Amino acid sequence: MINKNIFTKTLSAAAVVAGLSAIQVAEAANWLMLQGTERPGAAGRAKVWGFIQAQYQSDSSEPFAHPTQGDLYVPPKLIGPNLTSQEQFNVNRARIGVRGIGMPLDSTVNYFLLAELGNNGITAGNGGAAMISDASITINTDAVRIRAGLFKTPGVEEGLQAIHVFDYINFTTVTNQLMLERFPQTGEANTTAPDLTEGNPNSINNIARPVGAFRDTGVQFFQSYKMGKWDHSYAVMFGNGNGLNFGNTADGNMDTYLYWASELAMGGKGPRAQGLKIFAWNQSGKRLNPNGASIDDVQDRTRTGFGVKYLKMPFRVTFESMTGEGMIFKGPHQPVGNYNDLTASGSYIDFGYYIPNSKWEIDLRVDTYTRDENATAEATFDTTTVGLQYHINKKSRVNMTYDMRDFSSEVAAANNQLKGVGDRLAVQLTHIF
Amino acid sequence: MKKILGIVAALGMLLASTAQAGDFAEEKIVLQISDPNPFKQTLVLNVAGNVLKHYGQDKVDIEIVAFGPGLRLLFAENANKGRIKSLTDSGVKFSACKNTVKNMSKKLGHAPALNPAATQVGAGVVQIVDLMNKGYKLIKP
Repeated sequence: MINKNIFTKTLSAAAVVAGLSAIQVAEAANWLMLQGTERPGAAGRAKVWGFIQAQYQSDSSEPFAHPTQGDLYVPPKLIGPNLTSQEQFNVNRARIGVRGIGMPLDSTVNYFLLAELGNNGITAGNGGAAMISDASITINTDAVRIRAGLFKTPGVEEGLQAIHVFDYINFTTVTNQLMLERFPQTGEANTTAPDLTEGNPNSINNIARPVGAFRDTGVQFFQSYKMGKWDHSYAVMFGNGNGLNFGNTADGNMDTYLYWASELAMGGKGPRAQGLKIFAWNQSGKRLNPNGASIDDVQDRTRTGFGVKYLKMPFRVTFESMTGEGMIFKGPHQPVGNYNDLTASGSYIDFGYYIPNSKWEIDLRVDTYTRDENATAEATFDTTTVGLQYHINKKSRVNMTYDMRDFSSEVAAANNQLKGVGDRLAVQLTHIF
Repeated sequence: MKKILGIVAALGMLLASTAQAGDFAEEKIVLQISDPNPFKQTLVLNVAGNVLKHYGQDKVDIEIVAFGPGLRLLFAENANKGRIKSLTDSGVKFSACKNTVKNMSKKLGHAPALNPAATQVGAGVVQIVDLMNKGYKLIKP
């Protein structure tokens, strides 16, 4: 794991050096800039935009045949967010937003507002109601940009990137379990993995509040600098550590987010800009574990990662590795608590090939995640995903993915639930407007 | 001798001013940008680039006149400043309406910083009329 102090000092020093260089502020195609700023002098008062994703998923996992409770299904064997079936159609994302510069004559201040109306971890816990996923204001100066409100936290590439250009349908297990934070409340204890044939399918998903969706409410200081063909970006953010939920967490501490990315531009612009990007990040904070041994069970929660992404048509390669300590999510199923204070780590590598002179793209992703490292409950989650995309046009595409999963644990009780996790097929249609 | 040199210099200046007026150009086009829609900024620059490519740099005179909300194209910070520099290097002229600058200054509390490629003209509309009287064709993408 990267030492946080060294990381912080390096980040600060690099930011100072970059600032002293008084170089031209980049119009870089990076997530910090794409999501947090507008094109100066060339943005409207209010640009309405959004996207819809309609999908079908089918899971071929085998249930655990419990001697007395019937055939039991844990979350990886069911289709989320409802976790009621192994096969379903869904509108998993339907987002509409508006962004721009309130006073177009002055590009100093811009805003970003986005709402989620689809059925996913953001809305399902909230009874399916629409949720505001982003509401932020950015103040732009030559020295530093300041973004305040609710927005994506600088961190894991899978989460920070624009989800409507995500090349797969489901997140990697490491991102899903380690980075996509759940916020159970006291009393929302584990439930027994349900037997779908016994008429008790809903008890498994009883976390009422939305997932973090890689977002937080807070303030972020960031900037991007152009040095030759390289764009260097940094971000330092302080947030509540409470995801999409407003209000600080009961622990009363703020989360700190640190991020650095350097990108060699190779052409293009926007979310699919070509280049070689190297990045590193660190997130730290405290959480009150609602399933802890006592009501004041406050845990440190740290997440650290680094990666590299290369995109130069027709090839794409992405690698990212991350570790976490504290608040390791177990999932709302037996036999253990939602969270523990152990460590976990994982990584993924992704390959993409855009077939020349065609609208087809082939994808391959291998990801691994080890939970509760060096503990008796250690479990490993290995997945290989093959994907195919058909780009109907720049705003519309069809994704097809097939996940081959190999989950296991040395502990018999856990392994009983994991060993039957099988393959998963998903097809998704995306349209951006 | 001084008299001959004087005549040569005067002739040179006359030729230079004639060339600047675009007498050698086969086409003279003035492009108007007065729309608040950011897409129009890209469009007017695309049109200028396409016209330049079609006729060739020496065969066409292009002037882009910005006024009203369209003046944002000629703000110093504008995201298209790279393309403006490139077009300027290819001979395209950019004119900024002084009346608009004055009005925007009142709203902003200070004068907007303009692209160094922009030449301020009294009124954008009058500049267009003057150019049309000199044989320019008006295009408003």
